[in-house]
Amino acid sequence: MSTNAKTILSTRDMHSTTMRSSWQLVKRGLINTRRLPSAFIPTLAMPIFNMLSFSGTFFALTKLPGFPTDRSVNWFMPLGLAMGAAFSGVGLGFSLIRDLENGFYDRLRMSPTSRSSLIVGPILATWIRVTLVTLFVFGAGTLLGARPTAGVMSYVCSWIAAIGISTIGAGWGLGLAYRFQDMRGAAIMQMSIFLTMFLSTAQVPLYVMTGWLHTVARINPITNIFRLSRSGWVNADDPGYMSWSNIYGGLIAIVALSALTLIFALRSLQKMDK
Amino acid sequence: MTSAATLVNDVSVQRSTSAAIRQTLALAKRSTLELFRQPALVVPSIVFPLFFSFLGNSSFGKTTSLPGFPKVNSYLQFQLAGTITQGVLFGSVTGAAALATDIENGFFDRLLASPTSRLSILFGRLAGSVLFGALETAIFVLVLLPFGADVSAGVPGIIAMIISGALIALAVGALMASVALKTGSSEAVQGTFPLLFILLFFSSAFFPRETMVGTYKTIAGLNPISHLVEGLRALSLEGFSISATARAILVPMAIAVVALYIASRQLNARLRAN
Repeated sequence: MSTNAKTILSTRDMHSTTMRSSWQLVKRGLINTRRLPSAFIPTLAMPIFNMLSFSGTFFALTKLPGFPTDRSVNWFMPLGLAMGAAFSGVGLGFSLIRDLENGFYDRLRMSPTSRSSLIVGPILATWIRVTLVTLFVFGAGTLLGARPTAGVMSYVCSWIAAIGISTIGAGWGLGLAYRFQDMRGAAIMQMSIFLTMFLSTAQVPLYVMTGWLHTVARINPITNIFRLSRSGWVNADDPGYMSWSNIYGGLIAIVALSALTLIFALRSLQKMDK
Repeated sequence: MTSAATLVNDVSVQRSTSAAIRQTLALAKRSTLELFRQPALVVPSIVFPLFFSFLGNSSFGKTTSLPGFPKVNSYLQFQLAGTITQGVLFGSVTGAAALATDIENGFFDRLLASPTSRLSILFGRLAGSVLFGALETAIFVLVLLPFGADVSAGVPGIIAMIISGALIALAVGALMASVALKTGSSEAVQGTFPLLFILLFFSSAFFPRETMVGTYKTIAGLNPISHLVEGLRALSLEGFSISATARAILVPMAIAVVALYIASRQLNARLRAN
């Protein structure tokens, strides 16, 4: 057997180990969700509460001239979804801290598995959870009067945005958890995600903002993700309505921020190993 | 002889009253110092409401011309009352959580074993929250005033707002203390935080009730938080008047009386159980 063949074989083995380990961690994540619903229910309740309270409190926003939709729930449902997805993502950091504190993670690190599976597996489980949350939010939103303006694509774009935000949140949460290795990291995870979300078009469109927030929100990449998420929920004559020019910015923001935060997580894990 | 016995009784009543006052003051000093010695616990209840004020001012600055919105100089002027209520609500949870911690770590039992007046245990703890509530109110007014959060009622209005803030802290602190006495768990007290958050969002803290519609408007009308906020807001927007001052002070006072009654019943129940 040549050296080249050996290298190919070991790479294949490596991939299969990564996939198997990732799958086992996905299973663990899903079983935990089923066995500990108390940890999952807040993730589910928060976006629904968020959508309900914001669309009720700020109903009058839709009366502003030029507001993208005449249904406040159409505007705030993507916000609820984004909040739920972000907290599902950083929630991964919380569970990692628990695993680090109770020693379970040390056992994972001692096992002959690739390091990337320790990140890929939990993220895949988060995607499944976020998809469940998304379905519930869509259902609750429909009951509250949310109506898509671009058919199935409205739901698809919001779901992609939610998956993207959860990946960014997960990468950030895991990275901080590896760095801090205790609950100090949890407060920073929550606060930073919360601030980044609200310093964008989370609450109102750019043209309604005034002063410093307008400048910050314009350069905040999360604004692009909200544009993607809302593109199928605004009126068809609104400039933010579904079109490639309103979608690609959000996709680029998701890919770039996910890559950055996942690299941060992987580097932090490697640093911890050293 | 009867007269001599009455005199002895009067002296002992006076002694026990003055002892109870001294004990309450000592416990009040302890609870106040405890709050100020842990800035990480109290700073968020000042920083977050201020952040939301500035965020709201930039987000909703253009909404003040909407039909139903009261006449204001800026959104910040409208928001001031909501900011005070939000900060005081969150600060009061911290105070009650400290009472629960006393129960958990056995300090409460040591107080019960000492010849301390039972009510001074409760009032001593609440005094810390009241002082912190008054201080928070003063900070919010002083920080937001230069940015356009004018108080139409002037200096007497600001004093009335500080008294109102202290009374809101007493009312909410007593309700939260009931939870602490009932459960003896700081986790349970912290667990009520989302409930307060929900109450706050389903009120007129961030937007006037006049701009809301349907069931949401009804819920906001029934929500006691709306009445607490609107009492304070009257001083901020309408100027100094007997009716505005009465609303700002009497509403939290009435809620505080009910809450203190509930808290003292919970204290008695815990004493009986001990």
